[in-house]
Amino acid sequence: MLDTLVFVTVLLPFLVAAVLLVLREQNVRKVILVATAGVLILASLAMLRGGAFIMSPAPLWGSLVTLGDFLILGVVLLVGLKRKNQIIVWLTVAQIVGLIWFDFFMIKDHGATPAFFADDLSLVMVLVVSIVGSLIAVYGIGYMKEHEEHLHLTTSKQPQFFFFIVLFLGAMNGLVLANNMLWMYFFWECTTLCSFMLIGHDDTEIARKNAERALWMNVLGGTAFLFGVMLLYKVTGTLSLQEILARGPEFAVAGGAILVPMFLLVFAGMTKAAQAPFQSWLTGAMVAPTPVSALLHSSTMVKAGVYIIVRLAPIYAGTYFSNFVALFGGFVFLATACLAAGQSNGKKILAYSTISNLALIIACAGINTPAAITAAILLILFHAISKALMFLCVGAIEQKIGSRDIEDMRGLFARMPRTALVAVIGILTMMLPPFGMLMAKWMAIESAHGQFLLMIMLALGSGVTVLFWCRWAGLMLATPFAKAAPEAQDSTIRGPLYLLAGLAVVLSFFSPLVYNGLVAPVVTMYYKTAPYVLRFGNFESSTGVFLVYPLFILLGLGFFFALRQTRKITAAQAVGPYMCGEQTSVDGKPGFLGPLGQNVTAVSGNYYLEQFFGEAMLSKWINVIALAVLVIMLFGGAL
Amino acid sequence: MTKILLAVLALVAAPILGALITGVDRRITAWLQSRYGPPILQPIYDVLKLLGKQPMLVNTWQALCAYVYLVGAALSVVLLFTGSDLLLIFFVLTIGAVFLVMGALASPSPYSQIGGQRELLQMLAYEPLLILVFASIAMVTGSFKVSAVFELSRPMLYDLPLMFIVLGYALTIKLRKSPFDISASAHAHQELVRGVYTEYSGPYLAMIEIAHWYEVILVLGICALFWSTSFVGMIVLVALTYMAEIIVDNVTARLTWRVMLKSAVGMGLVLTVVNLLWLYAQ
Repeated sequence: MLDTLVFVTVLLPFLVAAVLLVLREQNVRKVILVATAGVLILASLAMLRGGAFIMSPAPLWGSLVTLGDFLILGVVLLVGLKRKNQIIVWLTVAQIVGLIWFDFFMIKDHGATPAFFADDLSLVMVLVVSIVGSLIAVYGIGYMKEHEEHLHLTTSKQPQFFFFIVLFLGAMNGLVLANNMLWMYFFWECTTLCSFMLIGHDDTEIARKNAERALWMNVLGGTAFLFGVMLLYKVTGTLSLQEILARGPEFAVAGGAILVPMFLLVFAGMTKAAQAPFQSWLTGAMVAPTPVSALLHSSTMVKAGVYIIVRLAPIYAGTYFSNFVALFGGFVFLATACLAAGQSNGKKILAYSTISNLALIIACAGINTPAAITAAILLILFHAISKALMFLCVGAIEQKIGSRDIEDMRGLFARMPRTALVAVIGILTMMLPPFGMLMAKWMAIESAHGQFLLMIMLALGSGVTVLFWCRWAGLMLATPFAKAAPEAQDSTIRGPLYLLAGLAVVLSFFSPLVYNGLVAPVVTMYYKTAPYVLRFGNFESSTGVFLVYPLFILLGLGFFFALRQTRKITAAQAVGPYMCGEQTSVDGKPGFLGPLGQNVTAVSGNYYLEQFFGEAMLSKWINVIALAVLVIMLFGGAL
Repeated sequence: MTKILLAVLALVAAPILGALITGVDRRITAWLQSRYGPPILQPIYDVLKLLGKQPMLVNTWQALCAYVYLVGAALSVVLLFTGSDLLLIFFVLTIGAVFLVMGALASPSPYSQIGGQRELLQMLAYEPLLILVFASIAMVTGSFKVSAVFELSRPMLYDLPLMFIVLGYALTIKLRKSPFDISASAHAHQELVRGVYTEYSGPYLAMIEIAHWYEVILVLGICALFWSTSFVGMIVLVALTYMAEIIVDNVTARLTWRVMLKSAVGMGLVLTVVNLLWLYAQ
């Protein structure tokens, strides 16, 4: 049974991907994709029921993984040579040399390390990848159809597109289930390659450029990962992640020696999670079709980066290095939240807010207390759902209105009532109680209260976050009183939107169950104490209390009552917007009565606070500071 | 059981108390300006009149937002009175603030739009300050729970004098007082069109008024925490603080949002750091 489940979540996507690559029939592809999504979701749920496990497949697979490593490195090397990118070439050569030495001379007994292991953290990640990722893949069916119609392609590139999308899901599942660090390295490189191919999918000048940038940054991370694993093997004498975690306290006592590989692996995680100064690859990845952005931002790629950092947290707990990780996370959280506030491009707002939230997760890993780790895991989970939802909304909106600028989404409710509502729900689940994201943020801030520099950054950052979400939600609703026309939408687009919106709300409601079933066990396993006591479903600790059900019930009742009251409002009670008594209206667009009785359309725009949050000005300083913190982290942490 | 009683008390007494404080505020302000001023119950008369009016709306979102604003404000006061978590109270308060702005932005009117934008800037200025105040309270008591404050043996003001000033800053912005009454001033000498409130009228404006009374009680309640050891001390501290707010309101003119942002965040950070360093040194 277990073999089957690991096979289905990890290997099946690889096989399906291969089928999709050669298949050119659209309807069959649709059926296969939907079926694969269903199977993946069911398998991930079944795996969750089964609980923790260790598994070693036949030795043959180990050789295949080694072969795969060199295959990927070869492809990356070729790309580097073709693009004449020195960084990619040399870093790949270094990896190839390192890997040959490591594989054939350093490792004593291949095959002694079980390839896979899962605890609750891995299982949460499998759920995120399989459920959110699959929904995005399904959404891709409807999206790519329209996308290619816009591009007027003669031959569809969808086989290649879905090949990499589905492959990506398999690689991510492999990554989060991997126990053998070399296997993890293989899947790690797999995601790098998939993201490179997907970012460059449209093959425009800018897409090629941004894909190349993503590649060199991730190859840098990959190199750090490989050498991190090599050093880790040298220090601990094992490749088994589980064993390293179990013996964590003993290494922590040894001090410095373990921290260098830890730094390299955490650094690899930071590049993959697009933390400053590497944020530009993720914002550049916005040129890709929206399902790719959604996938990169919610359930794959960047989540792999934070996964490794959270995963290793127990090993570096209580070190200065950990404090620096927290400070780094806090700084990037604040800095990229500011960058998000200065944007009007919807996808860029989402991109920067992703980096910001990932930084918060990293800060939590750095704080490294049971409560903070709980916050980190919940953030990974809830962020994946809400962020996927937001990206899919922006994709659907962009295809309809031809713009991703939030200023163009003013009054969107009149044109796309359902999508606008779903997007507002997405935004609310990102920033307000009683939803899971905010609860996790509450845990993060409360567990940071002892470190006041970090505290200040979190306080400022969370203020900025409210600013950019709130105005976006508000302006989508800016419509005159009118019955909105129902909107037509492909079911493969609408389905994932509704499911994700429902999931964001329902899962928040069941957050006590999620905590009890999935988070508390793993935190207790590695940190020996459970951070929160659940009383009537409310989170309680000595530092605070979060009332889940009272808030849900009272706010829900208030919301329901308000909704009922608004239903009673009739068109007779509608007035035009206030224009100082000089209002006119042309084609439903309100305006002023100007000189000579002409209509002057009322136009308004958001404050983007350019002088504080300008991208060009801020990015430079953010990169410098982030780099400085990284350097201090290496030297200061190792000391 | 006591918690339920306290919750009911908060729900009923807070808006009445808030209305009375607003009434007294208007009388004192009139006195400072050598006017006679309205009766102390005037805010209540105003709201009762508004409640009787026929609702008129630009769109249904505004009604929804007014209700949720009221629910959020009331709930945050209930949480404060029942000794809940300060950070949680803050987040619930944010629900109200967010929906108020969403309601303002939901109308295409430029007055309401600008009001909404300015309100967001105000939130950007006071929200970090409040979080910092709560975090420093947690440093003194070791917990974010309001109930933990009442277990202290000496007033928090001794340990956090500068944080009280930071709170005062946030208070000025949150109470919509000069010099930071940027998004929705109540005074005719500052604003004729009321920014973020522009599009709300009749019963919905009444709801927003009531929600504001709740918020007044909430922020004053947080002030009171700084002298938690005696009831008289709490009253005196709150009275003095509010008096200071009224005087500042009357002797200053409105500043721009740039000044507000820079001074609130800048001063807030400096005062916080100094106060916390002092706390560490003790």
